[in-house]
Amino acid sequence: MVQYQTVVGLEVHIQMNTYSKAFCGDALSFGAEPNTHVSTISLAHPGTLPKPNKEHINKGLKLALSLNSEVNKVNAFDRKHYYYADSPKAYQITQDRLPICVGGALEIELADGSKKNVRIHHMHMEEDAGKTIHDIDTQYSMVDLNRAGTPLLELVTEPDLNSGDEVLAFIAQLQQLVRYLGISDGDMEKGSLRCDVNISVNPVGSKILGERCEVKNVNSKKNAKAAVLYESQRQIALLEKGLTFNKQTLHFDPESGRTSPMRDKEDADDYRYFPDPDLPPIRISQSEIDEIQELLPALPWEVKKKMKEQVKLNEYDSTILSSDKKIADYFFNLLEQKANPKLLANLMINKILPHLNGKEMSSIEIEEDVIISFLSLIENEKVSPSTAYQKLWPALIDNPSKPPKDLAQSLGILQIKDDGIISKIIEEVISENSVQAEEYRKGKKKVFGFLIGQAMRKSKGSAAPDVVKKALMDALHN
Amino acid sequence: MNPGRSLIAIQEKIKSGNFTISDLVQYYLERIEGAKHLNAYLEVFADEAITKAKILDEKLKNQPDQCGKLIGAVISIKDVICYEGHKVSASSKILNGFESLYSATAVQRLLDEDVIIIGRTNCDEFAMGSGNENSAYGPVINGVGENRVPGGSSGGAAVSVQMDTCLAALGSETGGSIRQPAAFTGIYGLKPSYGRVSRYGLIAYGSSFDQIGVFSHDVKTMASLLEIIAGNDPMDATSSTTPAGKYDFADTRGPQKIAYIDDVLNHPSISPDVKSATLKTIADLESRGHELVPVNFDFLDHVVATYYILTTAEASSNLGRYDGIRYGHRSKEAKDIHELYIKSRSEGFGDEVKRRIMMGAFVLSVGYYDAYFTKAQKVRRLIKEEIENIFSTFALILMPTTPDVAWKLNDKSADPLKEYLADIYTVIANLAGIPALSFPVSQSDNGMPIGMQLMAPQFKERDLLNFVETLH
Repeated sequence: MVQYQTVVGLEVHIQMNTYSKAFCGDALSFGAEPNTHVSTISLAHPGTLPKPNKEHINKGLKLALSLNSEVNKVNAFDRKHYYYADSPKAYQITQDRLPICVGGALEIELADGSKKNVRIHHMHMEEDAGKTIHDIDTQYSMVDLNRAGTPLLELVTEPDLNSGDEVLAFIAQLQQLVRYLGISDGDMEKGSLRCDVNISVNPVGSKILGERCEVKNVNSKKNAKAAVLYESQRQIALLEKGLTFNKQTLHFDPESGRTSPMRDKEDADDYRYFPDPDLPPIRISQSEIDEIQELLPALPWEVKKKMKEQVKLNEYDSTILSSDKKIADYFFNLLEQKANPKLLANLMINKILPHLNGKEMSSIEIEEDVIISFLSLIENEKVSPSTAYQKLWPALIDNPSKPPKDLAQSLGILQIKDDGIISKIIEEVISENSVQAEEYRKGKKKVFGFLIGQAMRKSKGSAAPDVVKKALMDALHN
Repeated sequence: MNPGRSLIAIQEKIKSGNFTISDLVQYYLERIEGAKHLNAYLEVFADEAITKAKILDEKLKNQPDQCGKLIGAVISIKDVICYEGHKVSASSKILNGFESLYSATAVQRLLDEDVIIIGRTNCDEFAMGSGNENSAYGPVINGVGENRVPGGSSGGAAVSVQMDTCLAALGSETGGSIRQPAAFTGIYGLKPSYGRVSRYGLIAYGSSFDQIGVFSHDVKTMASLLEIIAGNDPMDATSSTTPAGKYDFADTRGPQKIAYIDDVLNHPSISPDVKSATLKTIADLESRGHELVPVNFDFLDHVVATYYILTTAEASSNLGRYDGIRYGHRSKEAKDIHELYIKSRSEGFGDEVKRRIMMGAFVLSVGYYDAYFTKAQKVRRLIKEEIENIFSTFALILMPTTPDVAWKLNDKSADPLKEYLADIYTVIANLAGIPALSFPVSQSDNGMPIGMQLMAPQFKERDLLNFVETLH
């Protein structure tokens, strides 16, 4: 029986989070009232012209450099023509001949820990279309042009992905990267990141790629994975029956988990690309490239490596703490303030992040120096780790501006380590329980635990157990 | 009253109290009324001009130092140039009733210097034509010979100046649409270098060719207006960052080396009248001490084809936005979006516009792109290099503006190719992106004006204006 291999290439549209649109001053918007972020330029009024957005170009360069893609020092915009109600100029400004960069790669890590390099074919800049909404009115379609002109980067991979899991890992890694770079929120639900998934299957060992089908506009990682699974099985089933199929554009329905052919209005189209005469070629100097390179933040995989190798965190902790740039920045910032790395990692993973519950790191209401004091109470054994987590942390959440030590004091959980105090307690315990003490001395070792319990109770639980243990031992053996 | 035809004279007369700006506007409005049959204006902003004149008269009286440099200048604008709160239609049915929400940069700069805009002028639809017979609102008629075209596409603009209905006019050029009507109507017309004047607010025809320019009766008025509208504009990425500077006449220059193209004089298209006027101009310039030298230009027979391939390609793209969805004419018959496009555009565009959109779509389509568009781009580069090569030795190039004088109405409109070929001498400057100025020299035997043009290297408008000023 023939074994098949799934081959997938992605076209990912990334919406840039620039201040204004790609070719005019309209502010970007998500969820605004329809047609409130439009100007004469984005409405393509007579006589208007596009003007390039330096921020769009610079953010494109950031992604290019972080993927080791080669920047085209002269790149240029082209017009891609098609008529649709949400395309006001009847063409889209894109880059057809000279994209901003070519080549490069993104390394992905799979669940089993194995790694894979996915090659990038190229990336180009373009503008988004508006939206046509068909289900508001029974007679008319509605057009919202708020999105028209939003800057996009389209990243096209080589067909290097071979499973739904790899596709999922790639998108997740790319999302993390664009968020680290601060160029896009990468949010698939909002449409800030959209994927066209090209899927084909071919017999294992065969160099010839099978006919490919393109699943358009997939809007979540989960759906991308499901589309790859469904579509590869569909294609294999057809091939096994000896049937063939044509290159198709498909839609993925998350409800049914199936793909179906789209209305093929675009397939035979001729886009009549030609260089946009309104926009002179973009020239990027080496010094501009160096400047952007200089400004690049540490990339997610570099941050994780640093956590593992320099801070000596384990794989799990490093993965979580490097997942988001702001979390990682917070971690390193507190390390600089002399926080104990392991204690800090534990606190962040077990308490701080669950407390934030997905909100921004910056929304934490506890000041950094308070966190530092909190951690030093544990490190200096003023409060035991378990008491600190169970009692002191909730109290701190309720009183974020109070010094943790004062809180611990009022909760009565500060550990007593003072030899004098503890010796006094032990003395009292021995004299109050002289029978048991005598039994111990005669060899009945198990009453030791009883005596420790008495001592702890006397200290209302705040004596440091190891100190109590040692003091009792000394007292009994005298 | 006769206010005269130069800005300097008008400003002096206003200052010395000969007449007020209100008088001047009244005078022009009467001239407009008298020339109504020529159909130069699509709309006259009479009330607005009267109101603004009163305000400016007050300003002159009370705050003379606050007055703009161009106070006293009353101009018309071609109906492809946007003016906030005013209709703009590109002489097309598809934009019938459309009102612009903003002003073109050139218009705004003029308004800031206290210019009064008295109306918008008729032109060929979307500036496509050489006779001003392609307007959805009827042809414009030349004020010299009443059965003659005024030239196009800025025919209304040319006639508005020719008939003294205003001091000067803003027109636009893609392939001669200012110089050719200037020549046909016996006035001055300047096409600046590509990138000299912002195209923001100029309805696009061929984006890599289009430029706003000026019509006037004299060079100094032209220079004053150009100085204001020239210069970089952040709204137009193709506008040059090379400073425009001052277009003054402070220099006196000695004899110049001027090239003329031998093939032009011997070209089958040139009429005997124009040929002899050209020879006379050459002799006249020589008698003034300039050196006139015939040069070769190998591309004369390719310029028209190159021009039409590239401009129709750009036009087919630029005119895609007129779809009836957001503004403009929308067919009432359409049942779905596909029909909406087809019917709105079929009803809204005239024949010449449709012809050029179809040609442009054809030369850009897969399978023909390289044979037409790519090749034409290569030829354009060669033409540019050849022209630059001439300018390495010569300061200026002299050429008749048109092969013949203004033709009779309906004479060429039946044969588009014949009309295209009449652009042969003007399109060179647009292909090369250089400035060119058409000036009146004489008349044909039947009394029609003949114009010559001088071309200068890119952004050498100042040299060009200075030289032509010495000729009268």
